[in-house]
Parts: sequence; C-alpha cells; structure tokens
Amino acid sequence: MAGPRRPAMSTPMDRVFLVAALSLFASANLAAQRPGDAQGARPTTARAAAPDDLTGYWVSIVTEMWRYRMLVPDKGDYVKVPLNPEGRKVADAWDPAKDQASGNACKSYGAAAILQVPGRLHIYWQDDNTLRMDTDSGTQTRLFRFGGSPPPNEPPTWQGYSVAMWRGDEPRDRRDGQGGPVQDSTGRLVIAQPQRKDADYLKVVTTHMRPGYLQKNGVPYSGNAIVEEYFDRFSDPYTHNTWLSVTTVISDPQYLIEPLITHAHFKKISDSSGWDPTPCRADEPR
Amino acid sequence: MRLTKIINWKMKHVWFLLLLLAVPASRPAQAQVDLTGEWSPRVYNDHMDIGDYTGIPLNEAGRLRAESWHPEQLDLPENLCRPHPIDIGLRVSVSQLRITTELDNETRQPVGLRLHVAWQEPEQVIYLDGRPHPSANAPHKWSGFSTGHWERNTLVYTTDHLKEAYLTRTGVPKSDKATVTTRVRRYGNILTITFIINDPAYLTEPYIRESSWVYDPNQVIAPFPCEITPDGTIIPEGKVPSFLPGKNDILNDFATEYGIPPESASGGAETLYPEYIKKMKTMKVAPRTTTEHYKRTQ
Repeated sequence: MAGPRRPAMSTPMDRVFLVAALSLFASANLAAQRPGDAQGARPTTARAAAPDDLTGYWVSIVTEMWRYRMLVPDKGDYVKVPLNPEGRKVADAWDPAKDQASGNACKSYGAAAILQVPGRLHIYWQDDNTLRMDTDSGTQTRLFRFGGSPPPNEPPTWQGYSVAMWRGDEPRDRRDGQGGPVQDSTGRLVIAQPQRKDADYLKVVTTHMRPGYLQKNGVPYSGNAIVEEYFDRFSDPYTHNTWLSVTTVISDPQYLIEPLITHAHFKKISDSSGWDPTPCRADEPR
Repeated sequence: MRLTKIINWKMKHVWFLLLLLAVPASRPAQAQVDLTGEWSPRVYNDHMDIGDYTGIPLNEAGRLRAESWHPEQLDLPENLCRPHPIDIGLRVSVSQLRITTELDNETRQPVGLRLHVAWQEPEQVIYLDGRPHPSANAPHKWSGFSTGHWERNTLVYTTDHLKEAYLTRTGVPKSDKATVTTRVRRYGNILTITFIINDPAYLTEPYIRESSWVYDPNQVIAPFPCEITPDGTIIPEGKVPSFLPGKNDILNDFATEYGIPPESASGGAETLYPEYIKKMKTMKVAPRTTTEHYKRTQ
C-alpha cells in the first residue's frame, strides 16, 4: 500500500536547490540584459540599445595635424593625403575666394572633414532612432539614422545620408587560415562563424555627399566618396575626463589611391559654454 | 535498493544540473577580440621639423629641453642604434606591427600579447594574467613593463618603468617618470591605437594621440640589424651637440616657414582648444616671402 504522496520539494535540501537555481537564473539574465532593458526583452529602439551615452557637449582637443587644422594650410600642401593625380590637380586649383563667392564655402565642412575642423559638438537624440550631432563650426547638423538605408534618389548634401549602427563584432577579413572568413560556393569570402561580441561602439556610414574638401586648402573628395566612422567613448585614467575618439575612413576612388584614415578626439564638457556658431568660411580654419 | 534511491534523487535534480549548464550560455559573450596578426601602418606623422611642438601640452621644463636639442645628437655613437620605446616607435618610425600571443615558457599557456615593431625591432609584452608591476626601483627599459585588461572589446594596458626618451623625432622629451595608457581596438580590418601619455615632468596634462593600421596577412617585416661603425661617427669624441638657452638659431624656422606665431609653435595646453584660433590672429607672424615652403606653394 502506497503511503501519502509527498509534495514536490518538500525536503530542506530540495528547497536549498530551488533557491540556488532561481538565484543563478536571475543573475544570468540580469547580466545578459542590455542598457535600458529592464524587463530583459531585446531593446526595440537604438536609443534603448545604446551601449554608451554619446550625448552631451564635446570640445575638440587638437593634438594631431595641428597646423592643418588650426590654420588654413597653403595651397598644394597635401603631403599626408594619398591623392591620385586627378586629386592633386583639383587641389592645386583651389581658390577660396571663388568658393566663397559661388556659395561653396561649406565644402570644407562636409561629413568627411567636419570632425577635423576644431570646434564643439552637441550630440543628442532627435528621436528614438536618430542621433543628432550639431557643430558650432560651420553650424552644421548631422543625423545618424539607425536602421534602414538611404532612400532612392536621396539628394546629395554637405553632410550626406548617414546610416548608424551599434557594433561590437567587426569580423576581420582573415585569409591566413586562423579563422574568420571562408570561401562559399561562389568563391565569395563569408564569415562562417562570426564571434558574437556585445556592441560597444557606434559605426556610421555616410554616402550621398556633395563633393567637398578633406582639408581647408581644397584637397578634394568626390560625391562618390564613402565615409565610415567609428565612435569610441572612454575615460582616461589620469584626469578621469571623458573622451570621444573618432576614427574616420574615407574611400574615394576618384581622388584617392587608397582610403584615408583620420582621427579626432573630443573632451566632454559639462554644458554649452564656449559654443561659438560660425558660418561656413572658405578662408578660415573654423 | 540504496542504488535505486540514489538514482531517483539524481534524476529528480537533473533539472538543476541542466540549469547550471544553461547559465554560462546566457551570459554576454566575453570581450576578447582577436588582435593577433600582421598590421600595416597608416601613420601620418606630425612633428618632423625642429621647433614644431604644435599640439603638445608641454610645460616650461619640456620646452627648455626640446629647444636645447640639436639634430646632430642623432649621430652620437650611443644614439645610432638607440631604439624608441614602443609607444613612440609605433608612432614616429616605420611602424609595421606584428601582434602575437605570448605564452608562458613553462606551462605554454597564454599570458598576454607581444607587440613587435619594424624599426629597431622593439618588442613589448602586455601581460594579461593579473601579475603586479615591479617595484618602483626596478630597472627601466625601452619598452617598460605593461599589464592590461579588457574593457568590453578594447584592450587597455598601462606601461611604466620606461627609459627617458622622445615624444617626437625632433627632441621633445619624455621623462622616465612617464606612464602610458594604451587602448587598442579593432574595427574589422582596421586597428586603432590610442596613446594617453602622462608625464608629470614635461607635460601639463595627458597627451592623447592616435594611429591606425590595416590588417595585412602578407606583410613581411624585415630584420633590422644595427651596428655602430668601428670608425665612429662624424661627431668628434666627447662632444654632445646642443643649443644653450636662447641660442637655438633654427628654432623659429618651422614657425616662419608655415606662417605660425612662434609662441604657438612651441605648444602648450592652451593651444589645443578651438578658441586659440582667435587668439592666434592677434599674434605676430614672421614674414614668409623668403621661405622655401611658401615659395613652393605660390
């Protein structure tokens, strides 16, 4: 004859197991949550998914390419840009007065170069999927749109059309047998098993730009140029200032023999003090 | 009977074991990005001219040392094969870069990463196994002592125990009290390295600069043998070329050449900010009509 049925988890040991298991499960899920994801669900907006807060005011700290950025370089001074012969020809014909008079004073404030122009940035969310960057130099506005792609027939502008994404896993084009891409049946390199990394930086790809200048002295980029930017926010261990570092890769087969990589970094400031909007000026550094 | 009881107990708690196994899978992926491989430099070097201290937050002591530097110091026998510390070598010399995994000699387990740079072949091991830095009295070396950690997908390491060296190829000094925090991150085929140099002896604030490399698995880094010629160098034995304070007659050539106020060319924290552009407009600039660069660009 069977005795009375014991309820599940009736012994002290059972209860210890249950509490331990629930604690582990809860802690694992908390760790896996993304920012702004209080319920553990996948964030539905770029703002909620942001791994870093890039918003606020930032000021350029010009420690590199100083004489190319704090002054207007001389015509023909493009030694640090991998220009092809056509690009050199255009750069050698630079005429700032003509640019100013023809309404092209903003050519050196376009998306490919605006972060090289010394100044301040104000970054904020225009809506849940659009990060907006205003610059005081040249009084420009950039919109980083998360999701989607440029609409067909998008007209070219100085700041172009920017598609943004939070990234962490940038698969490397490895061909040395140590992992990474393999050839598929068509011979195309594909990532067989990309490592999944949690997003921790902002990538922005900009196209549909009006032709502009990489430097203030008329070093050109064409309307076919593609600008890839990588934004990384960090704190320095000495002053504990917050920094925004931007690596920019400009590809332009029309004027460059290879992509140009530039860097700019910005220190976070508490407010808009020092904000000094300027119009586009063809013969001024900012 | 006892065996059956044990099996029943175990079966009842299988759910717990399965849950334990599931926990690591639900954690975020570990943030160790593969940085190893061959990297080809895309370094657009500044500070190639004597007197060009632009963008460097130098203090007075650093400026005095820089202004006393004479280019013939490069020809001193003891300097012919002198390497740059790797943080400088990555920046100012031919900087093809190779990153490999560093293994413990005995256990063959990874303990960090090793950086190898082309010019003068400096090497730097970045320990990631949590070992402490040596005592303050330990010898200083060209590549110092580095320990690092991962901040999400970025390798961050700190180097101290560095020998005195230069920030530029033109004599801007970096003291042996300097520490360098370096951030290495990979954006696909691009490697970006951010150097944050803190030198209480010669800088008023940390000096930040960045460079990038492109992944190049076919890169070949040639050996870099260096030996001092037995006949010595063009510098007479015992002489150390230098400029006494105020006697450097080539110091302002750079500023004149490019139309920069001499005071601005000598660096300083104030010169790093956008508002300094306005101040520069009120400062004197030497006439440029005779300079070679100016003539070339007209």
